[in-house]
This record gives sequence, C-alpha cells and structure tokens, in this order.
Amino acid sequence: MSRVHRLKLALWAVTGLAGAVAAARFLFGLGVTTNLSDGVPWGFWIGFDVMGGVALAAGGFVVTAAVYIFRLERFHSIVRPAVLTAFLGYLAVVAGLLFDLGLPWNIWHMVVFWNPHSPLFEVGWCVMLYLTVLALEFFPVPAEQFPRLAAVRRALLRARIPLVIAGIGLSTLHQSSLGSLFLIMPYRLHPLWYTPWLPVLFLVSAVGLGLMMAVFESHLTAWLYGRRPETEALAALGGATRWVLLLYVALRGADLAARGQLAWLVRPGWRTAMFWAELGLMALLPAALLFVPAVRRSRAGQWTAAGVGVLGTVLNRINVGGLAHLGRGDQFYVPAWTELAASAGVVSAAALAFLFMVEKFRVWEERPADPEADPLKLPELAPVGATWLGPPAVAGRTLYSLSFLLAAALGLALLEPVSASGRGVERMAARRARGGEVLWVDGNRDGYGTAFPHEAHQKREGGKASCPLCHHMNLPGDRHSGCFECHRDMYLASDAFRHDWHASPRGGRVACWRCHAEGQPRRAATARRCLECHKDLTPPGATIAVRQYRAPGYVEAMHRWCVGCHVRRAQQMNKPDLGRCTACHRERRQWPEQLAAGRSEAGPAGKRLLLPAWSAP
Amino acid sequence: MRAAILTDVSKCIGCRECVRACKLANGLGPELPHRWNLADGLSARSWTSVVEGPRGSFVRKQCRHCLQPACVSACPVGALRQTDSGAVIYDRERCMGCRYCMMACPFGVPRYEWDQPVPYVRKCTLCLQRLRAGQRPACTEACPTKATVFGDRGRLIEEAHRRIRERPELYWPKVWGEEEVGGTSVLYVAPVDLTALLAGRPLEEAPLPERTRAAMQAVPFAFTGVVATMAGLRWVIERRMKRQAEEGDE
Repeated sequence: MSRVHRLKLALWAVTGLAGAVAAARFLFGLGVTTNLSDGVPWGFWIGFDVMGGVALAAGGFVVTAAVYIFRLERFHSIVRPAVLTAFLGYLAVVAGLLFDLGLPWNIWHMVVFWNPHSPLFEVGWCVMLYLTVLALEFFPVPAEQFPRLAAVRRALLRARIPLVIAGIGLSTLHQSSLGSLFLIMPYRLHPLWYTPWLPVLFLVSAVGLGLMMAVFESHLTAWLYGRRPETEALAALGGATRWVLLLYVALRGADLAARGQLAWLVRPGWRTAMFWAELGLMALLPAALLFVPAVRRSRAGQWTAAGVGVLGTVLNRINVGGLAHLGRGDQFYVPAWTELAASAGVVSAAALAFLFMVEKFRVWEERPADPEADPLKLPELAPVGATWLGPPAVAGRTLYSLSFLLAAALGLALLEPVSASGRGVERMAARRARGGEVLWVDGNRDGYGTAFPHEAHQKREGGKASCPLCHHMNLPGDRHSGCFECHRDMYLASDAFRHDWHASPRGGRVACWRCHAEGQPRRAATARRCLECHKDLTPPGATIAVRQYRAPGYVEAMHRWCVGCHVRRAQQMNKPDLGRCTACHRERRQWPEQLAAGRSEAGPAGKRLLLPAWSAP
Repeated sequence: MRAAILTDVSKCIGCRECVRACKLANGLGPELPHRWNLADGLSARSWTSVVEGPRGSFVRKQCRHCLQPACVSACPVGALRQTDSGAVIYDRERCMGCRYCMMACPFGVPRYEWDQPVPYVRKCTLCLQRLRAGQRPACTEACPTKATVFGDRGRLIEEAHRRIRERPELYWPKVWGEEEVGGTSVLYVAPVDLTALLAGRPLEEAPLPERTRAAMQAVPFAFTGVVATMAGLRWVIERRMKRQAEEGDE
C-alpha cells in the first residue's frame, strides 16, 4: 500500500469514530458528549474547530492577495491548493460549528434575525459570504474538465479580481472580529490575553499563519504524493512570514507593557506557561528559524518553522477560545475524548475531500499520478487474510468502508453508558433508612438527611391501620417494605417489576404465556396484573393502584409522598410551616443523638460521613 | 417604571421560599445532580438560588437584569432582549444555541439545558408574565421576611441608601447593582462585602457592550478601507508592470 492509501485508511477510520460520536451528540445532547458545563460553555469545538479552523484557512486570502494584488507571479503555483484548503477549511468550520451549536438546525437564523451589535453576528455573516466567494474562486478548477461549464468558468475568471478583493476584505473583517468576540469578557479572559487590541492581534497572527499554512501544506502534500515542493517560492514566503511574526511579537509586547501587565510574564502558574508556550511556538521560534537564510531555504527548515508556527497559532486560538479563561467556581475544563474525536473527524473528512479534489482535478500544475493505477502492476493481496480484493480502486473502497465501519463500531462501544443513555446523571443506588422510632432518611448517604419521626407519625395517624398511608405497596411476602426497595435509584426512575428475573430460568421461571396471553401483543399494558399472582402486594387500604411498573426515583418519591401529605395537612391544621422544605430539611448533617457515640467513614466526594453507633462497621 | 428587585441580605433567613415560588411560578422541574451544575445552585431548572455568604449570611442569586446587558448585545440572532420594564428575556424561537450569552454575562447567570437533545438557555425573566398581569415576581411575593422586595428602581435605590444611612453599623456601605457594568435592576444591600460572591471579582462601572462598540463601528470602515487599498494597489502594480513590459519591448 502506498503512503496515500495508508493515510486515507486512517482518515476514514477517524471519520468513522466521529460518526459514532455525532450520533450520540445529536441524539442525547451536549451534556453527555462533552465536558462543557455552565461554567465553561465554550470549549474545544469553539477553540479548535471554529477559531483554529478559521485561522488555519487564512492561507486563502493571503496567497490570493500575494498573487492577484501584489502580482508576485512566483507564488502562482500555490494559489489553487491554497484556495482549495481555505474552502474546505471553512466548510470544516461550519461542520464543527454544527456539532457545537445547541440548535444547529437554526443556524440560518443569522440570515433573518439581525443583531449588528454582536461580533458573532458579523463573524457569521462574513464566514457565509467568504465561503461563497471561495466557492466561486475555486469553481473554475473543477469546471475545466466539464466543457459544458466553459461559459460559467469564463465569467468567473473575469470576475476573479473583484472576488479576490472581496475575499480579502471579508477575511480582514472576520479574522479580526473573532478577536472582537472576546472584548465583551474582560472579567473572564485572563489579563495576559484580554486587550482592546485583540482584533488587531488576531488579524496579524492570521496573516502569519496563512503564510505558514501555505508552506506546511505544500510540504505535506509533496511528501504524500512524492511531488517536488515549491521550495524556492516557499523560501520567499518564509521571508515575508518572519516580518509578520516579528510585528506580532512587538505588538503583543507593546500591548502588555501599555496595559501594565508585564508582571504576569514571570508570575508562575499554568496560564503563564501556556502564554510562553503559545508565543514561543507561534512566533518566536518560527521567526528565529526563518531569520537564518540556510534554514529558510532548506526543506526541513521550512517544514519545522511552518509546522511549529501552525501549532502555536492554533494553541493561541484555543487559549483565547476557552482555555485561558478565569473559570467560574473551581471548574477546570479538559476536553472529553468525544470532543477530540469529533474535531479530528471533521478535519479528516476535510482532508479526504482535499485528497479527492487534488486527485481528480488540476489543483497543482500536474495532477499526482495514482501510484496504484498502473495497469501493468501485479495484483496485490490484502495484508490481513491475504485475499485479493479486486482492482486497486475497488480494493481501496472496500478497505476504506471497512475501516470507517470498524471505527464507528469502536466509537459506539467506547461511549460510556451515560452518554449512550443520555441522562447525564449517573445511577446511584438508594439505600435503606436507618433507625427505629426516628428514621434517618438519607438515601445516598451523603450526610444530608432528614430525621423522620416514624413512631410519632404512626401514633398520630392511627396506629397499625395507618401503615398503608406510606407503605402503599410491599414486596411479595413482606409486610412493610422500605421505600428504597422499589425506588431503587436516587434520582432516576427504575423498574419496580423485574421482568427479566421473572422470565429467567434461574430466577422466577415464569413462562411468557402466564402473563402475556396468546395472540396478544406482548406489552405491559396487556399483560396480566401483578396482583393476580401476588395477592399480598398491596396492603388492605393501600393508597396506590398497582398499574405502574416504573417506580420514580427515591428523591422524587419521598418528596411527592411526604410533601403532598404535608401540604394538605398544613391547610387542614392551619400550620403553614408544615408544607415548607424546612419542616423536614433542617440543614442537619448529623444523626441527632446516637451520633455522639458513633463513628465516621469516608463518603462520596471526599465527605466524612458520621454514622450512628448501631450501624454495622 | 423600571422594574427592580432589592435584596437585603441582612433580612434573609435562608428559608428558600423564593426558590420554591420561582419553581412553581415558572413550571421548573426538580433539580438533578448533573455534572455541569455549578456550586452556586443556579441551573436551567433553578433560576434563583440561595447561597451561603460570609459570616453566616444568605445571598439570593438570580439574573441581575442589567440596564445595558452584555448578553443582549452579544446574541447574534437577537434571541435575548430587554423589555420596556427592564426585564431581560429570552426568545427560544430565535436561539441557535451558540451560548455566547453565557460567555458574555459578567455574572455567569444564563444556564443551559445540557441534558436535552433540543437545549435552550434558561434564566430568570423577572416573572414577566406576572408583571404583565399586574403581579409582583413570585420570589418577592413569597419572601416571608421581606428580604427581597419588588419596586421601581429609583425608589429602591433610595430605599437602599436610606437603610444604609440609618444603620451604618449594620450595612456595608455599598448598594450592589447601582453602578457596576452600567447598573443592574437587581440590587443588593448586605452586612458583608458581596463583590466576590456576586461576580467573582470587582466590576467596573463601564457597561460591557461599550467594549465591543468601537470594534463593531470600525467594521464598515475597515471593509471599505481594505477593499479600496487592495483595488488601488492592484491598479498601481498592474500599471507599473505594464510599463516595465513596454520598456522591455523597446
């Protein structure tokens, strides 16, 4: 297999993984597929996909400006790939944004509902318009191969200069406006980054990145297809890049000095470290490398300088986009693997589209020859299984599909049960109330409970006859089941009826037909009633009719039952406080009396639990 | 009238009747312990909460209904807007879920329905539906100690200063919400310093939308300037190249 084929196989796999993540994201929401929270509403998808993506696609306007405005003809050979990268880059930005938006199907609202005060509104419009401009700029390339489109192609070529100029204008606006987005958050963005000059810094770094991206991409595809990279033209690009980067460093330093924030540069902390890493990678190191003529002209030097610069600028965008924010509370955000996978998938899909375009159309002076399209080549066996998968084109497609599907399956398997069921609440078993005359009701044992005067209630409500008021249903053979035995989870509803246990040969060994009559659809609604077999399921005078098979969560059950009764009694007895939360919840974290002689053990979330003396060790 | 709420922390006993009233009035469901909830108790299902402040005080948190709201200025589709009464409200029909409002809010108030496949931003509306019906916000009606009261903003500010003046030994000499970020409709007086609790750090008086205004106003000029410069450069360079070519011919 050739380098290109191996790369495509990997790209398809990553896209497949992202496909699984996308399914979970759109079925169950953002909460379970990201690590975003109310304190960190923007994360990796905004920082990398949107902010990084737009910056990475800056090569389009920089290179078209160099060629069509400044008439630097030696860069002509890299115009087409640069425009294609920009076009696909912006498409990837929009795709990434669809993941991040809570209501992605409303993305068109920006076209009809206007708020010109919002920088995001301006960015949105510019991206839409620029995407159109890029499509029109690139369209003549594929149109070359379709004679029918010749008229359209000629018209577009005639409109090229106005298109290029519009593209430069739009890029200037939204590259800088991405910085303006953060002007409204002076209390959120760290002082090392927050400055009224953010739009200018963003624009200058976008120009620098656009140049470096052109170099990087040229070398990458050269390596991939065994092309000759345009090293001399790229050296000239590098020459321009170093001045842009120097300007950026100067602006950044002057800005920090003017705002009196220079002290932050040496204050220890991870944000300061991030700042230095970012500035070093995006500007200092590449500029230093590019100032050495030998490095600037060498292939490895260009590779390194551009690669480092691209990495650094993306890091800058991620920092500004969410990482270098002063969090609310003590929330620290690390992207979930699902976020990384989705972003990687979007990039992979864009890369696949790029490879498709360069193989099918004349993006470079000469189209790269498909290394496996040689008709005289011997049939090649698949590395696994040693079978012949057909001619290279067919074999390729088979393998790509396989790798996509396998990765998607892997992704689905890797999704945690939480993200697969979509609730975002982990199951938490409820536990028995403890005590005698006074019950300590604390189903999750977090120390916050209520002391429920059980005996007092019993006496007040009329002795033994009052049991069914609360014990509305008992397990078979049980005279007073605890609440937790049916309301098994603290917060989630759970099955009070154990269907699988009833059916299992190692459990109830009940044949299907005993409950589901022949010819009837097998559903809960048509099944035999529990009471027909379990006569003792509800006590005489029970306050519940056994129809439901889903028992509400413990907290909800307790609140519904206790509060409902209390509110009614509050009115009857004219005791308004009876219906209030504080009637039961008295901010008491400890078991009242017995606790003095009790012991403590480690509880959930690092809390110490104080347990009553009689509790089992 | 500018609708406003004054919360007197010294009078709050932390009974959370306001929280209950808010849930009932706005039909918000029970709270679940989600990963994405913050410690301050506000969430998509809790539009107000009571947090324990310094020295055993109780502080009720809710949307501050800024006079010049950052969220309204930030929303790209105008889903957030300010009503004539001063309430800042959210139109779910317009929202596209970008969450820029949550980033822009200096108080970190808007919360998101992270658990929903069709999520919306949720926050206090100053009980707009009740205001329109001539009622007070549910929280102010429920408060048993009158710690949180509803009224006209100007009057409430006077009242707040009067309280501070009359009992200087009790109150911290500041009305929170009077001036910071251009003023808010929800005001606080307290026996302790609430700055850190309400906003995380001291806020300046300048309204936040002003910070983006200059950049946004420059947009049309920047566009025209860049386009004109590029067209001019192209023209000049083209002409020079042509001349050089002609000279080369001669």
